[in-house]
Amino acid sequence: MSVLCVEDLRGGYSEVDILNGVDLALDAGEILTIAGTNGAGKSTLAKAVVGLLPRVCGRVVLDGVDITHMPTERRAQGGIGYVPQVANVFPSLAVFENLEVVEGVRDRKARIAELFALFPALAERKRMRAGSLSGGERQQLAYARALMTRPRVVVLDEPTAALAPALVKDSLARVASLATDGTAVLLIEQRARQALAISHRGAIMDGGRVAMSGAADTLLADERAADLYLGHI
Amino acid sequence: MASFVELVLTGITSGLVVGLAALALTLVFGIARFANAATGDMMTVGAYAAVVSMAASGSFTLGVVAGAGAGIVVALLAHLLVFRRLAARAPVTSLLASIGVAFVIRAAIGVAFGHQQKVFGLPVVRPWRIFDVRVQPIDLAVVIAAAATLLVVFLILYATPIGRRMRAVADDRSLARVSGISPDRVMVTMWALAGGVCAVAGVMLGAKTVVSPDMGWDMLLPAFAATILGGIGHPVGAVVAGILLGVVQEIATPFVGFTYKIALAFFVLLLVLLVRPAGLFGHSEGAR
Ligand SMILES: Nc1ncnc2c1ncn2[C@@H]1O[C@H](COP(=O)(O)OP(=O)(O)OP(=O)(O)O)[C@@H](O)[C@H]1O
Ligand SMILES: [Mg+2]
Repeated sequence: MSVLCVEDLRGGYSEVDILNGVDLALDAGEILTIAGTNGAGKSTLAKAVVGLLPRVCGRVVLDGVDITHMPTERRAQGGIGYVPQVANVFPSLAVFENLEVVEGVRDRKARIAELFALFPALAERKRMRAGSLSGGERQQLAYARALMTRPRVVVLDEPTAALAPALVKDSLARVASLATDGTAVLLIEQRARQALAISHRGAIMDGGRVAMSGAADTLLADERAADLYLGHI
Repeated sequence: MASFVELVLTGITSGLVVGLAALALTLVFGIARFANAATGDMMTVGAYAAVVSMAASGSFTLGVVAGAGAGIVVALLAHLLVFRRLAARAPVTSLLASIGVAFVIRAAIGVAFGHQQKVFGLPVVRPWRIFDVRVQPIDLAVVIAAAATLLVVFLILYATPIGRRMRAVADDRSLARVSGISPDRVMVTMWALAGGVCAVAGVMLGAKTVVSPDMGWDMLLPAFAATILGGIGHPVGAVVAGILLGVVQEIATPFVGFTYKIALAFFVLLLVLLVRPAGLFGHSEGAR
């Protein structure tokens, strides 16, 4: 059974629908890349899944439980980790406070130690204000914060967008190893070819719905996907 | 020289009153996202509760505690009955509602206690002399009460899990929610803190001057000035700015006269904002 199911999801920020019927399913340990042009509704889909979209209809199901209208904070504690596209750390909190503040964590101390071991750069700066971190460090902190609860599903909204090209590979490798450990990953990426290379499946969004979807290799090889969305390099 | 030091001390005590009120304003603004015009009247609540309980018990300390308790209760009631219901609307709705809450509190106090001034009836004590500087014992009591309140508030804010959650919600409410934090619970704690802080400021003001239904409302403008001067949403800044304004006012009084000392506070505010638009401690938006 899928960990996360999205069925005929519609909704938006006001009366206008941004999502026009999205269907997705995600298994444990699977990476699903969501690609698509600017304004296709990728971030809006992420917000609907984590509970930040003001108006939704359709269904979001986590582990067989309908969470479509569950409060955001309960979803977070119940196993959804989320790294927003922008504003993804608490700038006035210290680095370690950004992790400590997360609710719904079993054995908080041990978890923070694990994450600091995974991100040594953050451990070195743990008393610094998160607002003074570099773009790359900030992204690591956002990722670590999202992993605090050992979530079953992680939603990453363009995690590599703020990174220097040299750091992109590392970042995607971390995502891949997260999935190897059994976490389901919804990976929204502009660098669609690189993201698909580490993904099991992909979906391309256009106008608030899924325009194409399939196995990652199939999409990578697809001429039409390349022409319309992914580019040829 | 000695009289100069005395002016500075007076400035610090009156500045602490403004600073505490500004701290309460900044806490509410940072987390509930509106300027609470009932801040001054929550001060008045504290002063009246303290006067009444002190008349009954004879203990000033008990008065402060009772005042703080009353402030907490009134702030929580205002939150539960009014502000929580408006949270989803535009901030100006809550601002307008807080003006209404302010009027209701003031009217209730007027009906219950009348409009004549009350005093704490603290024993008149001769000022102490320390190196030629006269120190009023009541000023010392006021400074101690303020310092204790600040210590409690800053310990809660910066050294407890609930304080961390409050700062997280102040930073970014959505990110707090996706981190599993319930803003509703944080809001309750914040209102309790803000109400308690207001009330202690009111008790201090009442002990220094007189207690009347309008006493708190009159402090609202100086408190707003200190909030802005300190950098909106910055707790330390609010307190420092309050003290700074208090001291500047007192030092300047011999030169500009009593009538203009309030105007002077706003002149200082204007000057600082010209140089630092985000206030003394605020981060300019460009840094984000
Ligand atoms: N907070 C908001 N309020 C109102 N409309 C919004 C909001 N955020 C996004 N939109 C609109 O929703 C549509 C989809 O935006 P969304 O951010 O989901 O796109 P995206 O696929 O994530 O694009 P990008 O690649 O630029 O991140 C756009 O038309 C956008 O203008
Ligand atoms: Mg987006």
